[in-house]
Amino acid sequence: MNSRNEIELKNFFIFNSTYCIKEGEEQNKILFYFPPTEDLNTQINNVGLVEAIIKFTGNFKSQCDTRSLHTLKTRQLYYQPEKNFWMTMTLNLPFKVKSKEEVEQLDYMEDEIQDEVYNAVLKQAYDLYYLFFGSFSDGSGSDTILLKSKLMNHFSPYLKSIKLAHCDIMNIFNGIHFLPLNKQNFLNVQCFINLLECTYKFIKYTAVLFNDCLIWSSVEPPSMQTIYQYLTGILLPAQMETEIQGGSMPRNSPFTSTHFGRYVTGPSNLKSAESLGKIPKVHLNSEKSSGTYYMILYRALSATVCLFVAGEELNLSLFRDLDEFMGPKLTTIASDIAEYCAKHITPITNADNSPRFIYFNKLNLACKSTVHLDNRQSGNLATGKDTIKIMVDMDDQKSLIGLSGEIIVKTMNDCWVVGRFSNSREFYLAMQQKNASLIEINDEVKKVCDTELKGIFFHPM
Amino acid sequence: MSAEAETNDVEPGAAPESMLIISESSENLQNMSSSLDEIKKMQPDNQDENINNVDPDDYDDISCNTIATGDDYIKDNDWLGKSKHIFVLSSAGKPIYSRYGNEDKFASYFGVMQALVSFVQADNDSLKSIHVGNTKFVFLFKEPLILVSISKTGESVSQLTAQLNYVFNEIVSMLTLSRLSQIYQQRRNYDLRRLLAGVERLIDSLLDFSDSEPSFTLGAVKCLPLAASIRDTISSAIVQSCSKIKDLVFAILLANNNLITLVRMKKYYIHPADLHLIFNLVRASESLKSAESWTPLCLPRFDSGGFLYGHVSYLSEDCQACLLLLTVDREAFFTLSEAKQKIVEKLRRANCLEGINESLNVREETCAETGFPELRHYLYKCKSTAQFYQPGVGAPYMSDYGRLLTLYRRAHQRLHSTSRPLKLLYEKSSDEVLLAWDTKGFELYVVLEPSTDKSATIALIGKLLTWIKKQEDRLFHLNAPTF
Repeated sequence: MNSRNEIELKNFFIFNSTYCIKEGEEQNKILFYFPPTEDLNTQINNVGLVEAIIKFTGNFKSQCDTRSLHTLKTRQLYYQPEKNFWMTMTLNLPFKVKSKEEVEQLDYMEDEIQDEVYNAVLKQAYDLYYLFFGSFSDGSGSDTILLKSKLMNHFSPYLKSIKLAHCDIMNIFNGIHFLPLNKQNFLNVQCFINLLECTYKFIKYTAVLFNDCLIWSSVEPPSMQTIYQYLTGILLPAQMETEIQGGSMPRNSPFTSTHFGRYVTGPSNLKSAESLGKIPKVHLNSEKSSGTYYMILYRALSATVCLFVAGEELNLSLFRDLDEFMGPKLTTIASDIAEYCAKHITPITNADNSPRFIYFNKLNLACKSTVHLDNRQSGNLATGKDTIKIMVDMDDQKSLIGLSGEIIVKTMNDCWVVGRFSNSREFYLAMQQKNASLIEINDEVKKVCDTELKGIFFHPM
Repeated sequence: MSAEAETNDVEPGAAPESMLIISESSENLQNMSSSLDEIKKMQPDNQDENINNVDPDDYDDISCNTIATGDDYIKDNDWLGKSKHIFVLSSAGKPIYSRYGNEDKFASYFGVMQALVSFVQADNDSLKSIHVGNTKFVFLFKEPLILVSISKTGESVSQLTAQLNYVFNEIVSMLTLSRLSQIYQQRRNYDLRRLLAGVERLIDSLLDFSDSEPSFTLGAVKCLPLAASIRDTISSAIVQSCSKIKDLVFAILLANNNLITLVRMKKYYIHPADLHLIFNLVRASESLKSAESWTPLCLPRFDSGGFLYGHVSYLSEDCQACLLLLTVDREAFFTLSEAKQKIVEKLRRANCLEGINESLNVREETCAETGFPELRHYLYKCKSTAQFYQPGVGAPYMSDYGRLLTLYRRAHQRLHSTSRPLKLLYEKSSDEVLLAWDTKGFELYVVLEPSTDKSATIALIGKLLTWIKKQEDRLFHLNAPTF
């Protein structure tokens, strides 16, 4: 047998034990099961084991409720997003083949899978479902057929799209990359949004992105996190692909000559459209209320505007109106920003051996990484994977450190990894310097903080 | 670390030969030697091979009528809230041991644990641990027993597994592995508790001992600080008194969970994990103080297949050091008893008993008392001899040594993680600065005042290593005497 280097999805299921009342009807509690080809008996057995474990461990109360099961060959993670609803994900551990005295042995690498990362992946999977379909219990009603089909529609494609092997600390943070802008450009965006919201009162929330960075959002942060992950992880990459292929660039808008705006969700062709096309509805939660909104995405050059519209009857002329309003303005804004970025923001490259860092602020969800060479979980990294795993280890221990603190480690292959924690902010840095001393590393961290995190206060270490 | 280059060649406490087998940790029973057979083969007239034979009729199972009287504990918050539970059950699910409470009262719990283990096993896999928030449920399946730890202590799975291994070894040390397997081969449903009368007390003690000591985590033992001359005199007194006794494998002198000396048969070494079991035996048995005793003892790492026989006694009324003479000859009690008298006489004449007492009566110096005010505490392990040293515990850990141990355990785990081991760990929190350093020759764990800056930390470590080097022949047992 060959070695297996990557983490694999063994199964994924969602169940609710209260849906099985009589013995012999155990299949009723299974709401979704992947792979669908698994025979029913195995499905029922696997769900049964999870139920037994939850029951057994439930007696010993614990403060937080992240749960996982470690076996020699697999890792199973549990998440209960709503009462009685459990999501379970089982992963196959990677392994190496070792021959010991001519006998081949499989060496399963337990530490390759970090619970914190994959618990976050499970939660993200639920949040995305919630965004489009609302809660599990809303969807179930008296019989489970509807819920089952919703789950099927969402999770079957979703499971194929998550890149399990490339999940890492970014999933834990679930943060948002903000675009650092100068005042003028930022105010232009701000004015544009204010004018838009004033003109069209039915717009409840807005968000503006440039490429995969957020510039402005009035959506509550937890919902924005999920929308951001959806846009940057799933929708926009696909969109850009079609743009690159030149397929669907609109050349038929009456304003083509003056702007490049067009709808990503909504009517794709305003001139000839007879219908609105598919406009997704999303569930947003805010402190005051929660409700469903249409999510209209409009894009010009690299800028994307998301409009969240409540219950309004949408019609074609409204879209034409909006297009007329946003198109020229957004085109100008986008090209100004593009110009600014070209001058002031240097893209992250893999060119040198310079120190790499990841920054996350829990309060505003701001995240920045020079370890990841793109924002798409492609596994395109400037450091080894193990370095990021060490950062996850540190993140896991940060609660033990208190309000502020620092961890510095040197690995067996002389890579230094530094973690700093202060005021809900986390900063990680990795560098390869064989002969450096603790003090030199300290100086280096200071240098990077001074240049990259200007104005962000860390307790002096 | 800049001090690395300067100090690499110091390695305080290193010795050309060790009396202990050097090991990173003590997680497994692998590579069991068959040392006993070897030793006996050197003595053709020793035909007594009876020791591991079990007569199944002696152990007829008549106690099947232990009926579970409801699962009272499962609703008992006191019981549920214990920071660490340990359970031992047979692979058929029969309760054998529970750290807290009467195991018959939650027999169904044992049933569930067994079912979980066997369900996962049916899938050609094995259950290792369940994590729920900060509680870890760790399972160790060692044919024919299942051991389970439910812990909120923050220890890692591998550390908890190591502790379960110790519990398993403690049971083996009373029965031998061969006998244990044999019992269950003959009777899967056997109630092992009937054979383990008294072992429960040993396991209780072992768990308390390993929860409150860094030696188990480090896989090392601590020596009683003694002037090298005294230690050498003691060793040679033992060697002289016992040199003519055939079959004597180990002579171990210990006091207050510290090793004074260990004399061994040439070619044979003792594993720190076995030595910990011996320490535990002495620690747990008050009765040894009143009379010399003769006890069969299996050292699982040395040879899990058979017994050694131990003559165990305290040196004298006025010196509370315990001497163990371990032999393969089950008839040697009187010979060894005589030898012990000779040893005590020699030690008394050479004033060694006083030396031992003096060291026992003196409280270990804290870091501050040895001239390191910024240093709160440290552990130093010399890898080549599997010995460690720690100073006396000072403020602020006097009343909370457990917190310090938790820090050390965590640091040890980080350094020795199987997939991401580290050379160096520096951690600054609001409460303290911790530095853990793993080099070729030693491991060092240092806890300092939180205000200590990095350059001061490094300078201090250099100074500390020099200090340990100067003290090494007092703090460590540098010779490895043999019969």
